[in-house]
Amino acid sequence: MGESKADLTRESGGRKSASRTGTFELKSRRFSLLGLMLHSADMAEVTADWAARIGQGGGFEHEPVVIDLSQVPRAAAPAAAPVVEGQAPLALDGPAPIDLKALVDLLHASQLQPVAVAGATPEELALAHELGLADAAEEPVVERAAPGAATETVREVVREITVEKIIEKPAAPVPTLIVDKPLRSGQQVYAKGGDLVVLAVVSHGAEVIADGSIHIYAPLRGKAIAGARGDTTARIYTQSLEAELLAVAGIYRTAENPLPADVAGKPAQVYLQGEKLLLQPLPT
Amino acid sequence: MTKIVVVTSGKGGVGKTTTSASFATGLAMRGLKTCVIDFDVGLRNLDLIMGVERRVVYDLINVINDEIKLTQALIKDKQLDKLFILAASQTRDKDALKQEGVERVLNELKAMEFDYIVCDSPAGIETGALMAMHYADEALVVTNPEVSSVRDSDRILGMLSSKTKRAIEGGEPVKEHLLITRYNPNRVEGGQMLSLDDIHEILRTPLIGVIPESESVLQASNQGTPAIHLQETDVSEAYKDVVARFLGEDKPMRFTEAVKQSWFKRVFGGK
Repeated sequence: MGESKADLTRESGGRKSASRTGTFELKSRRFSLLGLMLHSADMAEVTADWAARIGQGGGFEHEPVVIDLSQVPRAAAPAAAPVVEGQAPLALDGPAPIDLKALVDLLHASQLQPVAVAGATPEELALAHELGLADAAEEPVVERAAPGAATETVREVVREITVEKIIEKPAAPVPTLIVDKPLRSGQQVYAKGGDLVVLAVVSHGAEVIADGSIHIYAPLRGKAIAGARGDTTARIYTQSLEAELLAVAGIYRTAENPLPADVAGKPAQVYLQGEKLLLQPLPT
Repeated sequence: MTKIVVVTSGKGGVGKTTTSASFATGLAMRGLKTCVIDFDVGLRNLDLIMGVERRVVYDLINVINDEIKLTQALIKDKQLDKLFILAASQTRDKDALKQEGVERVLNELKAMEFDYIVCDSPAGIETGALMAMHYADEALVVTNPEVSSVRDSDRILGMLSSKTKRAIEGGEPVKEHLLITRYNPNRVEGGQMLSLDDIHEILRTPLIGVIPESESVLQASNQGTPAIHLQETDVSEAYKDVVARFLGEDKPMRFTEAVKQSWFKRVFGGK
């Protein structure tokens, strides 16, 4: 569990099992968090895209998420904003800050719990502190400190953890989620951290999501999203491929682009090869 | 043991109220004590179809709000003494349907030893529809042979398996029956309507019956008579079959073949 030297309670001998003093321990820990990489500074655009791709519900069960602004295209404000004749040019000292408040509201609405921002400008950082978000520094590794506890000391700790990045938490086996009833239009199932097995039909308008692979022993007519947290080795298997949408690790294909005849309505698997989603018939 | 049956569909105008009226009447014709409740608060229709609209004094909402006794609101059918109607309120909206109130009404009906309570659900997936299905033991999902109706039925089937009392408490799931109404075999042959097989392939729910598309349904509504009472009509026969199958009798499907074909069969000595 990636304990670091920041274990304040450890005795000088280093026997951590010896005694635990006090009512709490302040340790540096590593947690796996969702990261929201923003690719646009236009919140209206992001909101519309979010509604289209995530929808209203989301159903993220209040997972913590780090808002990563490092990928936002920061156009030099003066060049981007056409200066109207006679009007005083505004905010020439840098790009306009991203509307973090709107973003946080958007995430809350989908049951996500923003905890920190990364790659923020000083202006955005000030806004983030107001909203109770911590500063996740440069590295995408984040201390899950209480909101507002982002002091100098915490930043120090974060650096220390990155050194210990090699200590991977041994992957605890996540039980496969098995669904034996039909998934009807409007229903959604998410296999967090593992694989999903569905033994009945996934109807048009239903969604099956897994961090691992998805196995459907019936027709797949709705949406299937495998490798939801970026696992590019995840695959989708079904006895009859009729999906509205197929996605592996964020690379997707919709039914607008008709399925090739050799897989449409047939047993098939879907996987990633590089950046390309491959649809392959399964032997019957 | 009282059984609660919800008649639902998601989509409007597919024949829920027609089905509720005929199905409840059919049960009562078998001598089973039946109450049919209109959950379409604000857009009540069941009383019209049942031909009792002039006799509605009190309604479901009055009972839920404890303003009157249940027995004052129950309207007894003129032809069948085992059949009772509980009308919806026209002046209120669906928010007036409170869960505790609905439960109390259903429990009182159970105490009156009704065999069946038929809940006529409003269209949509909001409060009214949720209340109508919440306490159901069985469900008749009414579908027309067209894509949007089938899709909406799929949504409703999903809600029956997740939002009802039985689903929430993890008991035995609500028993689902698919009822296809306004079926026109000639148009299915012409490819303008989904066939029974198409619908089954999408929904995979056991079929309890097929009601053919017919002028007599309109005629029945205008007269304020449940369609099952129109003797000798296909619709009446089809609803009687549905009731029989619901009660566990084995009846072959009728009215599912194109007319041309059955004429062909008659000529050549087929059945």
